Amino acid sequence: MKTILQAENLAKIYRVGSVDVHALRGVSLEAAEGDFVAIMGPSGCGKSTLLHLLGGLLTPSSGRILVDGEDLAAASDAERTDIRRRKIGFVFQRFNLFPTLTAEGNLRLAERIHARSNGGDDPARRREVLRLLRLEDKMHHKPLELSGGEQQRVALARAIVTRPAIILADEPTGNLDSENSQIVLSMLRELNERFGQTIVMITHNPEAAAVSRRIVHMRDGQITKSDR
Amino acid sequence: MDSIVVANIRQRPIRALVSMIGVALGVSLVLLFTGLARGMSNDVERRSANVRAEIMFTRPGSQELISSMANLSTKYVEQLQQIEGVEAAVPMILYVFQSGRGFGIERVEGVDWAPFAEMNQMRIVAGRPPEAVDEVVIDQTKARNSKTTVGGMLQVFGKQPYRVVGIYAPESGARVKMSLAAMQDALEVTGKCTYILVRCRNTDEQVEVAQRIDRQLPGNRIQFTRDVMTNIERSIPYLGVFLRVLTGLAAVVSALVVMLAMYTTITERTSEIGILKALGASRRYIIVEIEKEALLISVIGCTLGFIVAICAGSLIHRTYGLMFEYGWAWAITAALIGTLGGALGALYPAVRAANLDPVTALSYE
Ligand SMILES: Nc1ncnc2c1ncn2[C@@H]1O[C@H](COP(=O)(O)OP(=O)(O)O)[C@@H](O)[C@H]1O
Ligand SMILES: [Mg+2]
Repeated sequence: MKTILQAENLAKIYRVGSVDVHALRGVSLEAAEGDFVAIMGPSGCGKSTLLHLLGGLLTPSSGRILVDGEDLAAASDAERTDIRRRKIGFVFQRFNLFPTLTAEGNLRLAERIHARSNGGDDPARRREVLRLLRLEDKMHHKPLELSGGEQQRVALARAIVTRPAIILADEPTGNLDSENSQIVLSMLRELNERFGQTIVMITHNPEAAAVSRRIVHMRDGQITKSDR
Repeated sequence: MDSIVVANIRQRPIRALVSMIGVALGVSLVLLFTGLARGMSNDVERRSANVRAEIMFTRPGSQELISSMANLSTKYVEQLQQIEGVEAAVPMILYVFQSGRGFGIERVEGVDWAPFAEMNQMRIVAGRPPEAVDEVVIDQTKARNSKTTVGGMLQVFGKQPYRVVGIYAPESGARVKMSLAAMQDALEVTGKCTYILVRCRNTDEQVEVAQRIDRQLPGNRIQFTRDVMTNIERSIPYLGVFLRVLTGLAAVVSALVVMLAMYTTITERTSEIGILKALGASRRYIIVEIEKEALLISVIGCTLGFIVAICAGSLIHRTYGLMFEYGWAWAITAALIGTLGGALGALYPAVRAANLDPVTALSYE
């Protein structure tokens, strides 16, 4: 199968005052189209840093990142933003929805940014995504009127409504109770199985890891184990 | 509703309103001041255009912009009439005083009606000329503003009211006129006047006539009507500069108000800017979104400013009789200042927001 994501020997050093924090020390990772990768590891081992690098929110200190054939590490700030716009959908632990917009408004915003203007309006796609995530009757609710699980489903809907090549999820169930976690996880699984959506997900939760196709373990800024 | 601009304004309506009021204040100030300057200037110009005398003969220092005294002997009238080229000479007292309403200045003229009317082609459109010491005539604007007509009483100065015996046209100089004798009586200046209006036989010879008067009656002050009765902008030096400075200040106020509003907005919504960045919004997109919001606030503020200016102008006009005339050029300037000021003020916060680091912004509480 086609490789859609390829990271080679990534290093990331944060400078805090005069101290260098080595968050990543040579990480290589590959994901094929339709893959579902779970990244596990103790807190502070560099998982979020890796995910931010893969999505172009950060630049690596060294190494290469190819997203669907485009080199993120070599790209300028504006080019990375553009690759992110076209190819990446993010889901965060804190949901990060626009509080002033309704669920549908949040999806429309993602569409508009994706289409770079006021275009990109695809009500059919929106309805399909909202139905898939069982949110049809929540379309006109604002985030504060929704439960945590519903908010995360809206965030997931927002991430996939523009059909990105890859979804990057940073502890998507970290703020959810087990019931809502189950719902969100089964939806991720469904997206992956039915639509072949490539997903890279960070998690602490063994149950979450279980829905993935493979698990990558990290420790101290390095990948220690990768199982199928 | 999926516009973040409108959603943001609805989220913080008071802050948006305060910014709008800030912009409105600047805009309405510009409109009111320029409208007043223009209105008063045009008013004086219209009234002085109807004075047909070319020369004003006075004592030095007898008439300034906001004060006047009667210290010129009316005996000069006969002497002036002897001078070659002089067709008519009419003495007049101009009395300028602080209005009873404590705002602005009022002017009343004392003049013998028949020669004055003949010289300046004035006519009485209702009633008759003033004769007795308690009689005045007024022009149509004064009649309208004070809601007085022939037979009515008018408080001019002092305690006793004056009877309006006639209405004259066209408007010229002071809107209230009484007979010279009545004014001399009121001011206790028998035999004196403020200046003597001199009409030349031939308007083109006014300079020569003036020189002749100066030679024969030296030591007095000879002015040309066209120089004295000029527009206010020229007679109050630096009024134009003042108006431009005011306009500049209004622009600064608009810019600062909008800048402050957008700056706090952006600090408050740092994590939302992080979301926009995570969704792949370019720097330009973020700047444009913030500018849209600033522009919407400014445009509403401008509209508010126009409404305030028009209402306040007409209220001040009705209360104090000051004239406001709004010109297109200044209206456009005021509108540009409000909107451009706002847009410019928002630029710094917008650029700052666009330059935020996405990961830091996303984790902002
Ligand atoms: N912006 C930053 N500045 C400095 N150090 C950072 C920054 N972000 C992360 N780190 C450090 O890098 C390491 C990896 O962090 P992170 O990638 O967030 O780990 P994880 O997501 O696995 O908990 C940690 O030691 C963390 O303190
Ligand atoms: Mg993390």
